[in-house]
Amino acid sequence: MFDIKLSHVSKRYSIRNSTRARSVGWPQFSFLGKKPKELWALRDVSFEVAEGESLGIIGNNGAGKSTVLKLLSRITAPTSGEIKVRGRLSALVEVGSGFHPELTGRENIFLNGSMLGMTRSEIARMVDSIVEFAGVPEYIDAPVKRYSSGMNVRLGFSIAAHLDPDILLLDEVLAVGDIVFQAKCLDLVSQLRQSGRTVILISHDLGAIQRLCDRVLLLHQGQVLMTGTPIDVIDHYQQMAMGGGETYHLDDDTDQKSALCSRISFTSEELDQIPRTGYPMFARLGFHARHHLENVVFNILIYWPSGYLCAQLTTAISDPQLRIAPGSGEVEFCCPVLEIQPGWYRVDISIESNGEDLDRQQRCAVLRVLPGKMVFGDFYMDTVWRVLT
Amino acid sequence: MEPPRPTSSDGSVDRELRDHCNATEDPAHESTTPLAARKHPLLGSRLLYSRSLKVIRPASFSLGTIISGVTTLVGYRDLLYTMTLFRISVRYKQSVLGWLWAALQPLAMMLIYTLVFSRVARAANDGVPYWLFVFSGLLPWTFFSGAVSNAINGLIAHSDLLTKLYFPREIIPLSYVFTALVDFAIACGILSGLMVYYHLSFSWNVLYAFPVVAILVAFTSAVALILSSVQVRFRDVGAALPVVLQIGVFATPVIYPLNWVPSRYQRLYLMNPVASIIENFRRIVLRGSSPDVSMLITSAAITLCCLVLAYAYFKATEVTMSDTI
Repeated sequence: MFDIKLSHVSKRYSIRNSTRARSVGWPQFSFLGKKPKELWALRDVSFEVAEGESLGIIGNNGAGKSTVLKLLSRITAPTSGEIKVRGRLSALVEVGSGFHPELTGRENIFLNGSMLGMTRSEIARMVDSIVEFAGVPEYIDAPVKRYSSGMNVRLGFSIAAHLDPDILLLDEVLAVGDIVFQAKCLDLVSQLRQSGRTVILISHDLGAIQRLCDRVLLLHQGQVLMTGTPIDVIDHYQQMAMGGGETYHLDDDTDQKSALCSRISFTSEELDQIPRTGYPMFARLGFHARHHLENVVFNILIYWPSGYLCAQLTTAISDPQLRIAPGSGEVEFCCPVLEIQPGWYRVDISIESNGEDLDRQQRCAVLRVLPGKMVFGDFYMDTVWRVLT
Repeated sequence: MEPPRPTSSDGSVDRELRDHCNATEDPAHESTTPLAARKHPLLGSRLLYSRSLKVIRPASFSLGTIISGVTTLVGYRDLLYTMTLFRISVRYKQSVLGWLWAALQPLAMMLIYTLVFSRVARAANDGVPYWLFVFSGLLPWTFFSGAVSNAINGLIAHSDLLTKLYFPREIIPLSYVFTALVDFAIACGILSGLMVYYHLSFSWNVLYAFPVVAILVAFTSAVALILSSVQVRFRDVGAALPVVLQIGVFATPVIYPLNWVPSRYQRLYLMNPVASIIENFRRIVLRGSSPDVSMLITSAAITLCCLVLAYAYFKATEVTMSDTI
């Protein structure tokens, strides 16, 4: 039994150049003359979400993720096609946006709650629980304009969570609030999942998607590119976002540099295989030096797609007195156990000599890691174990 | 995502780590056990109801949308009530005179019209003081013009809501209409006070005021719905409205009696439901006579047509309002 079904849904926006008409000061009857520019946010999108399933939707900015969310939450209607929604649906999108600043927290609970479709008697029954979950009991009779932004969001989330929906839409909502509240929200979402609610999560946080979703849908330029298991779809998406390939030939036309990195590759023990989590990885960094160089350090920096530094391979610790002769060469790094999760990582490389950068190439290559040993959490940890009696 | 903790060969870090684990173990243990035993407090409050199937389709202008629209509106009646209630309380929250403003506005208008027109109009008001005559006409007029001119900008003022939440959009203009209705009720209280002071008697005919006011509310809602939804697309409506309302004072029997209108134009003149409602309202309340039934039925029929069309139009434009706003 489906909870949500989209059949051939398309959505067109017309972009009117309104600023120009205003600055000229003359009336421009755009609806009579030339047609406004059209933009298809979604084109012939069809998918189903089963009861109790949790679906993640990923894609670049402008791929149509938010449009799907707006259509499902009935903020706007499709240009063509049909959407069926079975049961009560609650969208946790920019929670707290329905608040009136002059009204007190309690009054806003009633206003916001009834906007979400609750009746006054339902709200009256839940008001204490809402206040408790939001953690704002001492401010509940103060006007909302005196609230901090965090309190605003917490109260909004709490009201929306109490709607007790059959279907829950989440859009980057977990990114707000402090750590304690985020943990509370994640806890609630996973409990809602376990109790059989349908969840749709739209996020750029691929880790959260992988943890919380049974199935992932990849949108690209308003169309469904792929649906499948989180691992497959996220891998495909990252590959799409970064461009594939395992060996990188780097730019070598700069004559001024006294040394430069010419090539980089990441492999498993067999030289033509992609590295896997939990198994050995070899990184080979090709370089070319023009002079004798003293005190050389080679670095490979590995970044998450989000830009956060994930790990570093360096010669600085192992041999501070590395010297190289003019000519070409190769540095091989060996990781006996690759601890990072499957996925796609961006790579920086650099050569230093006496603490000075000779060559630094940012985001110049991609490290792809295939699933190997199972990873739950952020890292694989190699373990041996025994039973002690 | 935290980088892995640096490890060291000497035992001090290990000990520190173990201490750290011990420190966090107790509270974690404390919180997991009761959580496993009972469900989340929010999940206990689940309401029993059957799941309904909603179908979302492209916008269309049809009378069928009216039925589904009204059904949804009934489901959201508490929002209309809450919104109206809070609109009233917010409006007078930081003002000194508060509720009195509801009566002061028509009173001030009455004063102006009386000063300007009393000499001209002395002949025509069969025993009732002219200013009371004007005041009784101004009440329905102020309701109409106040409700419409507030409602017209309502959707734009709430654009942040329209782009983030779904609820029947007509609740916003309608809440302005009902807010104006509360002001109207307060002003009616002032009117009856003035009538008592002038020893004008009430008759049972005053009960006719209920159907008359009901027609007025329905017509005002129709105008508010259609104008506010057009305003989302074309802001010209908002610019034109004050002028139209200014003319409206003279196109309805607010400051002059109906018999000043040449009789061959009266039929056309009374096609405007507001004109016939003002005339009937004055007859019922001020003169204590029964209403002109044919006038009442005509205005009711016109109002019903307007309301149906306005609601169907509003419902057709509602679904894409968040795109055009």
